[in-house]
Amino acid sequence: MIPPTCETVFALIIINKAGGLIYNKTFHEAGLNKVGTNDLLVLAGTFHGVHAITARLNPLKTAGDRTSTASASGMLNRPEPPTGLEVLESENFRLQCFTTMTGVKFLLFTDTTQANVDVTIRRIYDLYSDYVMKNPFYQLEMPVRCDMFDRKLLSYVREINNR
Amino acid sequence: MVVYSFYIFDRHTECVYARTWLPSDRPLSSSTGAAAGAVTNGASKPKRRDDNDNTAKLIFGTVFSLRNMVRRLGGEDDAFISYRTAQYKLHYYETPSNTRFVMLTDTSTMSMRNVLHQIYINLWVEYVVKNPLSPVEHKGGEGVKNELFELGLDQFVRSLM
Repeated sequence: MIPPTCETVFALIIINKAGGLIYNKTFHEAGLNKVGTNDLLVLAGTFHGVHAITARLNPLKTAGDRTSTASASGMLNRPEPPTGLEVLESENFRLQCFTTMTGVKFLLFTDTTQANVDVTIRRIYDLYSDYVMKNPFYQLEMPVRCDMFDRKLLSYVREINNR
Repeated sequence: MVVYSFYIFDRHTECVYARTWLPSDRPLSSSTGAAAGAVTNGASKPKRRDDNDNTAKLIFGTVFSLRNMVRRLGGEDDAFISYRTAQYKLHYYETPSNTRFVMLTDTSTMSMRNVLHQIYINLWVEYVVKNPLSPVEHKGGEGVKNELFELGLDQFVRSLM
């Protein structure tokens, strides 16, 4: 049994580029409320929309455009494209969001004190590309049902939660 | 630490106060609403005001959705505190009477929850709630036009920066 005070990864959600829920896994039951699959689908869709809005809300939008035209070295100095929500904090949990180049979102729910979540989420992305994307039977944008991915993910997260 | 903007929403989801401290242009203060813009901002920047109004609506939508999401996942007693993107950070504080305070800052800022709480206690309650002439409801987005409150807020935020 894991003591609730230690650093814990609660759950993982993967959202495809259209806002559909393609994977969800709970690692630590006590961390988050139990949410039904239907609610989770709604939640994923909502988050997808909110994520797009947060990228548009950048208060320095106009200032950023101005600096992008000035380039010192003559090289085209393109500003970083606006990213949406990356970390969300609440009293009971912390949500890290990682968006891949293709628009797939990895949402990792952790303890509020959890450190190095970006490393963890990168590693999970590695697992995803190794065991989901390289699986010849996996259809893009469809729910992830890959045994190998499940197993590797579970053993990786268990290692973190038991640390 | 840089504060970009600050918004207050009342319990009817109306934006009753908005204020920006953008370094690029003259600080513009406005009590949002249909009629208030022309007075505070002059006729020179009517488009900017529209922008501001839409931004406030977008911010409210975002904050509202995230708050509900957090409550669904973390339990009824959980509270949404802040989120961060690569460009900015949004801080959120909600009073028991559903007045919502939102502040946008740069990404390196630590938690501003106590700051928003201070604004609520020392400025909002003192100057707006305790003011007998201040309207309780803001129908049609009349907004808060309270000199003491605006002055106090400006001084307080500038002292943080």
